Amino acid sequence: MININELESRQLKYKIKSYIPHAVIIVSLSVIAFVSYAVLTSKSVANKKDELMHYTSNTHEMAIDTAKSMQTVEEKILSVERKTEIAKSNDFKMQNTAQEIQIQDKPINKITENEKNENEKMLLSPSLDFMKKINNNTLPYYENITEDENINISNSHKKAKEKAMEEKVELTEEPIVEESKKTSMNITRQNTHEDIKHVIARFKKNNNPALSLFVAKKYYEIGDYHKSYNYALITNEINNNIDASWIVFAKSLVKLNKKDMAIKTLKQYIEYSNSGQAKILLDEIMSGKFQ
Amino acid sequence: MKSSIFESSKNVFLDTVNAKDYIQLDRVSTIYQSLKNSVKKPLKMILLYGKPGTGKSMFLNKLYHDLSVSQKVYLYSTPILDESEFFKTLAHDILNVKYRGELNFTQFMAVVNEKMLNEIPLVLLDEAQLYSNALMEKIRLLSDTRKIKFVITLHKTEKEDLIAKEHFQTRIWESIELENASNVELKIYIQKKLMKANCFDSANMFQNKPVNLIHKLTKGNYRDTNKLLYTLFDIYASYEENNSVKINKNNISNKIIEMAALHTGLIHD
Repeated sequence: MININELESRQLKYKIKSYIPHAVIIVSLSVIAFVSYAVLTSKSVANKKDELMHYTSNTHEMAIDTAKSMQTVEEKILSVERKTEIAKSNDFKMQNTAQEIQIQDKPINKITENEKNENEKMLLSPSLDFMKKINNNTLPYYENITEDENINISNSHKKAKEKAMEEKVELTEEPIVEESKKTSMNITRQNTHEDIKHVIARFKKNNNPALSLFVAKKYYEIGDYHKSYNYALITNEINNNIDASWIVFAKSLVKLNKKDMAIKTLKQYIEYSNSGQAKILLDEIMSGKFQ
Repeated sequence: MKSSIFESSKNVFLDTVNAKDYIQLDRVSTIYQSLKNSVKKPLKMILLYGKPGTGKSMFLNKLYHDLSVSQKVYLYSTPILDESEFFKTLAHDILNVKYRGELNFTQFMAVVNEKMLNEIPLVLLDEAQLYSNALMEKIRLLSDTRKIKFVITLHKTEKEDLIAKEHFQTRIWESIELENASNVELKIYIQKKLMKANCFDSANMFQNKPVNLIHKLTKGNYRDTNKLLYTLFDIYASYEENNSVKINKNNISNKIIEMAALHTGLIHD
């Protein structure tokens, strides 16, 4: 007689055993699939990281390149600005000279009120020290320009450029001096007759007292006191409020052996303008220091 | 009675060799017809071989049953391992000569040559792999005399193949191999066997799915199939007797097939 219960339990065991290989295969495949997926995912993440790192490094390089190019551009801008400032300063000098000529012109009172207003608008009220620096072509004048350069840099760039600017200023300190020296040589060249003629031509076109004062000063420097007298006189006719113009006018008279006339003119101008420079020159002429 | 269905079905698969239980299958019928034709030819020896349970004994029984009507056929299902006894049995059956003492091969050959037989007797030796090599060699010499024709069955193993090669290669004129049944053949075999015993309900329970499982477990071996199905119906009979709710009478349950296979040792838990 067959024991059914025993056979049933044996069959159940057999069935479970028969499923074990399938279960093992399924579990193994699942594990393999999971591991493969994990490996692939990690690889893709690593690749992405590499790409990101690569991208970051590229971006960093690009940023460095951009910074370098920015530096170059800034340097160019600075050099252009410096040149512009130098050019402006040259114009500035001429304007101021013209203004000084106008001061001397006041006693004559030949200029109309409209012309006066126009010239007043053009006045930039420079200091006498500044004028002296122009006359002497000294280095401190250019140092002031360097300072002005720094001021002219736009505020938006200031913060970003601060450190770079400091380094650049330090680094470019010597080239600036060299450049300023070069510029001073250019000014020396302007003392030549051709340059004076060029300025005279410009003066004839626009009748700017700064230009005529410039011409008067240059003629005085090269010892052509007749012409310096004439251009100082012209400047004073255009604008009689320019100290420098009256001073050049008085100096030229002294050099032309018209010391009395120079003293008389200076006294009249001092009465009118109470100019300190004019007083100093008058004292020097009176004491015989200036001959 | 319903319970008798499973009992009678169980008895169908009793492992017995009976020519009446022979099931006609297409391939088997072809082979059998080939064997019958070979017997009629003047062959010295016919070798029938195959794995255990492929139906060799049944074939031999069927052949004996069919040919015994028309000619002298002697079937020895159980090997006679003693040489003298073997020749004495042959002398008694074929020549009607009784020997009380020893009868060796030479004496038997002398008797065979003396006796003028009207027709060549056909001797069917089952399980020939059990005979000794010396006796097999003497059987070969007997067949060479063309006085007696032999049909022998061998298990197809490496050893039996070696015997076949060494002793019968030059003398066997016909060799027939029997193989396990295919799925389709097994289904036909089971259904025909059940229907032959009027177990139609049981035969209808064997659809393709359970037959495929049976074939998987038995590899189409007829003897194993008989054993499995005998146990299967025994289990069904037990369920029917104790807990008939658990069984489905329309289909053979895979669970019960596996239980039967466990019981018969075809599978192990």
